[in-house]
Amino acid sequence: MKVKLVKKILAANDRIAEANRRLLSDAEVFSLNLMSAPGAGKTTLLSRTIGALGGKLRFGVIEGDIQGTHDAEVISAHGVPVVQINTEGACHLDANMINEILPQLPLEEIDVLVVENVGNLVCPAEFDVGEDAKVMLLSITEGDDKPLKYPLMFQKSEALIINKIDLVPHLDVSLEKIRRDAQGLNPKLRIFEVSCKSGEGMEAWYGWLQGRKESGSLHGAL
Amino acid sequence: MHELSIAMSILDIVRDACAEEGCSRVEKVRVRIGKASGIMADSLLFSFDCARSGAAAGATLEIEEVPVGGHCRDCASDFTVEEKYVLECPLCGGPAFTIDSGHELEVVDLEVDD
Ligand SMILES: Nc1nc2c(ncn2[C@@H]2O[C@H](COP(=O)(O)OP(=O)(O)OP(=O)(O)O)[C@@H](O)[C@H]2O)c(=O)[nH]1
Ligand SMILES: [Mg+2]
Ligand SMILES: [Zn+2]
Repeated sequence: MKVKLVKKILAANDRIAEANRRLLSDAEVFSLNLMSAPGAGKTTLLSRTIGALGGKLRFGVIEGDIQGTHDAEVISAHGVPVVQINTEGACHLDANMINEILPQLPLEEIDVLVVENVGNLVCPAEFDVGEDAKVMLLSITEGDDKPLKYPLMFQKSEALIINKIDLVPHLDVSLEKIRRDAQGLNPKLRIFEVSCKSGEGMEAWYGWLQGRKESGSLHGAL
Repeated sequence: MHELSIAMSILDIVRDACAEEGCSRVEKVRVRIGKASGIMADSLLFSFDCARSGAAAGATLEIEEVPVGGHCRDCASDFTVEEKYVLECPLCGGPAFTIDSGHELEVVDLEVDD
């Protein structure tokens, strides 16, 4: 006998993500899902951003790592609330992990909640965690072929931060190709070229983040 | 890389459907996986075989891979491509296209013993 279903495989995750989104918006928290390959500079970006905007916006951070608490310690040095999720091998955060950890954060004291996802250029793009905006980093040391090799994250993100441009003189990489391919995959993508080391280009990112926080959750914008 | 969690989600859906329909043995689970979904069919099959249990303990997974496809407003044609993405209409080279398929992740139906 045949049982017809036609069910979205990720429906359960998406339901929990929607509950997270409601909880966060009720608490007037704007949330970002920060994604990239390992080592692209998520924690460094976050440290600098909190350093620059911490006087205007109250940040909170969820650190997702397969193991360890290193990144959470780095962020906690800025005096902002941070909780660590260890996925014990899983290559991405899902909505349920966020749902379980949210009660540990003082949401009424947070304006912008950043979820630093597990370092991975593929899987995190697939799982909605209830964020208002997905933002990804690509460091130029990863090569300019990455948008077309791993298109999904570029398609799902609102903003792309191309990081480590201080290394341009040392590398054989075309920023122009990264921009062109990324924009081809996602014409609405906002692109920033920055060095989280020297600080170059960061002002534009700070400006976007503050503006985006004001517009809150753009339902159905993507 | 997250095929195991996808396999677990499929099995959750199968378990709920079995409870609802009152069936005790599933022979086959049919799913549609878009080529742009980031899921590798081989790896999903392997994960499913590792994770299956209960009524689905002996079930096989049948995967229909859905190519990336869309419609172009410039040349008014439908197309599918081999790649995981489309940068321009493969027929006329224009930019005015929409993507309609290739991101599917769905359980279509089950074959159960009755
Ligand atoms: N040269 C240069 N190095 C950078 C820049 N941004 C980050 N790095 C370095 O890149 C390395 C990785 O940075 P992280 O911020 O830890 O990267 P991450 O994405 O958080 O890494 P995971 O959490 O492990 O995935 C560190 O050694 C940083 O100092 C940059 O703009 N230029
Ligand atoms: Mg980090
Ligand atoms: Zn065309």
